[in-house]
Amino acid sequence: MAPSDIELVERARNGEPEAFRDLVVRHQRRVYAVALGIVKDRDLAWDVAQEVFVRVHQHLSECRDGAAFMTWLRRITARVAIDVLRKERPSRRSDVADVPEAVLREAAPGVLATALGTDPQETVLRRELSGRLTEALGQLPETHRAILVLREMDGLSYEELAERLSIPKGTVMSRLFHARKKMQVLLAGYAGIDAPGGGSP
Amino acid sequence: MRCAGAAPLLGSLPGELDPTEEALLRAHLSTCPSCQARQADLQALSGLVQEGLLVEAARRDLSGLADGVMARIPASAWRGAPTGPIGQLLSFLRRHRILAAASALAPALAALALYLYIGRTAGPGPAGLAIEVTSEDLAAIVLETSDGPVILVGESSEGT
Repeated sequence: MAPSDIELVERARNGEPEAFRDLVVRHQRRVYAVALGIVKDRDLAWDVAQEVFVRVHQHLSECRDGAAFMTWLRRITARVAIDVLRKERPSRRSDVADVPEAVLREAAPGVLATALGTDPQETVLRRELSGRLTEALGQLPETHRAILVLREMDGLSYEELAERLSIPKGTVMSRLFHARKKMQVLLAGYAGIDAPGGGSP
Repeated sequence: MRCAGAAPLLGSLPGELDPTEEALLRAHLSTCPSCQARQADLQALSGLVQEGLLVEAARRDLSGLADGVMARIPASAWRGAPTGPIGQLLSFLRRHRILAAASALAPALAALALYLYIGRTAGPGPAGLAIEVTSEDLAAIVLETSDGPVILVGESSEGT
């Protein structure tokens, strides 16, 4: 049976490099995925993931139970990715392509639900949209990207997002709404769904 | 409540809204087809961000990531643990706990084997014969009693 996270943490704390390597390998995909969603650059996401695990190692002595390990890992991932994003912001601002407000007004609600069905099971269209997800995320402003990724990947509550991003809860709710709306418009466009009374972006 | 106020509340997790917000949202949803459709969109897209990012991460070969992390951790960070043959043995035993448990029973098994050997070659000994076998800090004593042999396993008295 594979050792639990906390067993690996304990062994790493006792000086076993292989235990720590196992911990990295076990969680690297998820950490990289969250980092990629937030910083949107693959190489930068790689750097973020490495930095996350180096910090985890530096603070191993603070982790005492298995359930807390995942929360702790997620917190470090979000912090490092957002810090990197803030540092990179001046040189990358021009990359951000906002969805025009007019398009938001045109997109009729419910078109994606009709096309995909409300049951989130595997469908051809869903697979196709999932494959273009990072492309769509890349078109969101960074503030919307970060909040959407943290909510969807880590399931953070409004309060946790407010704390993590240092913004009021009301702003969290508003940003999340706009982020989701833009994603829906972009994905509807990829799927070639014509919104009644308007058009795809 | 109007759509502009209800829309940001859509997609909240169970128990995340306060009771007043929840009641207002429920009342609005029951009469507003547009917000019902928005809600349906959110449900349809649920999990898509996670799926998409994990698929993208799976496309990338991450095998070198752990090497990069390990290279950034100074060797001195691992100094707290015993090194050399003892460190390797401890590490092996931590990874193979069943073997470690079996090795703890070794003195008892050795004592039993010795007892059976003596019993077979020298015939029955005097009642109350005790044979003590020790290994590291564990010891086993075989007592010949009127009910048969009894094996006692405990810590060695040496050095205590």
